[in-house]
Amino acid sequence: MAPSSDLPEAASRRLAEGSFSSGLSVADFAACLSMGLEPLGLVQGFCAMQWGTYGGGILAGAMAPPAVAAGGYAEVYQCPHGFVSGEHRAWGQNYEQTWIEAAWRTGFSSALSRMVEEATTLDAHGVVGVVDTETPLVEAGIAEFHLRGTAVRVEGAPAPTGSPWTTFLAGQRLAKVFEAGYAPLGAVASTSSVRVWANCVTEYALEGTGGVWSGGGQVAEVDQVVRAHGVARELARSRVRSDLHGDALHGADLYVLTREHGPGDLEIQVRLKGNRVRRVAPFSPLPVPQLTVALS
Amino acid sequence: MSATPEAPDLKAVVRRALAALEAPGTESAPTTSDLSIDEELALHSIGWEPVELVSGVSLVSIPVGWWNWGQGEITAAAEAHRHAFANAITRLHREAARAGGHGVVGVRIERAVHPTHVEVALVGSAVRPVGASLAGWETVGLCVGASFVFAPRRSVGAVLGQQTQNVELTNFTEAMYAARETAMTRMQDGALALGGTGVVGVTVEEGPMGFASHAVGFVAIGTVVRPGPTGHQRVAPITVVSLDDAAVSFDARTLE
Repeated sequence: MAPSSDLPEAASRRLAEGSFSSGLSVADFAACLSMGLEPLGLVQGFCAMQWGTYGGGILAGAMAPPAVAAGGYAEVYQCPHGFVSGEHRAWGQNYEQTWIEAAWRTGFSSALSRMVEEATTLDAHGVVGVVDTETPLVEAGIAEFHLRGTAVRVEGAPAPTGSPWTTFLAGQRLAKVFEAGYAPLGAVASTSSVRVWANCVTEYALEGTGGVWSGGGQVAEVDQVVRAHGVARELARSRVRSDLHGDALHGADLYVLTREHGPGDLEIQVRLKGNRVRRVAPFSPLPVPQLTVALS
Repeated sequence: MSATPEAPDLKAVVRRALAALEAPGTESAPTTSDLSIDEELALHSIGWEPVELVSGVSLVSIPVGWWNWGQGEITAAAEAHRHAFANAITRLHREAARAGGHGVVGVRIERAVHPTHVEVALVGSAVRPVGASLAGWETVGLCVGASFVFAPRRSVGAVLGQQTQNVELTNFTEAMYAARETAMTRMQDGALALGGTGVVGVTVEEGPMGFASHAVGFVAIGTVVRPGPTGHQRVAPITVVSLDDAAVSFDARTLE
């Protein structure tokens, strides 16, 4: 986690003295002004993270993966054939890469809290139009997390008392969220990472090898991979849900990346992000939509 | 900046909403959705609200040796495709039901056919009714039809004889027609099996399979609908002339 107040001295000075800056487009800028949100500054947070044992140890098949020790998801897939040969994958496993998830969580939340800290320095009520990027640096296992957004003050509101709220939305879309009776609380994101080390059946199904061992030429679902996909998505979603504390996640973005490191060695990464919003006014129902035909 | 006439009290709405955050939130069950606010409002106006972002995934193997030599339909590929969609849809339904949803809207389909397996991933927002549904037509489900067919290889004599001519490769045309008919029939049979009367929003994807030189594929996917209890409601759209300028960038011709 980010240590408290690690904002560079120069940054504090720049934020205190300079002109205002904003990452908003002209349209979003205009929409923010019409909502009474006054841009104070483009605020940013960075964090470069390295994660350790990237799948190490497990490939030898001799050690229990760290996921087990950490209480993460792990499931063993035994070969149904009995002893075949030394090259036969008699054993397979799905396991959660908890150390990667932890590194990601630390990287994202440190960058987020550093951005929020800059906003606090500006006496902002909130940060709108948050953009997050995650860039691999130098070599595998190192990534830079960069979050940026526009700190805003609410016109005519008392000085902020707590930490500024954050949202990925800006402009018209944010205005509509307010009009629909919601208030933004935070940009939330979660991740999950599940590694699939295929057993013989899974490998044959994916690689199209195996002859007599691959299920007699029948069409069949590849249970091990399907299960890993299901678990990875469920983990990401339950993590985001636990961050919601009864509020709603609006405009969720589910992104799934499947990487094949080698034959029968897959990694499934899930990122789920969205805007935590709270209903503060009842839905004022829209009139039944009226159909129009545009003549231009 | 003065408030626009369309949103006279937007500033007050924003101030009130943010002030309301000071009060403790109600610890109700959280909801998640990937809908935009426009979609959520439109959905609400016809009696539905989102509850949970749900997904369903399936991956089904195709046994070796089906793609490169043979005649007629590549049945194992079609069967794997059907199986993968059926399982993914079942899982999507199961997740939606667990979250208290009555249906899933805005389903995004990711689909890939590999030589050895078919992959299907569905993501959408589960919804539940709030008030009476106003829909004149009901959506019943997704239906999918897929067919993969061999284009028979031409004889060596035919290849040599046709080399310098403009000719239609009837083997490919015919294979495409066969795949199209089978896939569309399967999709429409799927609609009937769900009790629907029609399929809307059909998308088709067709063409040669990149990894097999003499195989073509045709996949059709759509949404099954049937008239609701109120039956079809006549819609009378109003014609409007939009004053939005379609040109978004500087156009030098306007200076002439």
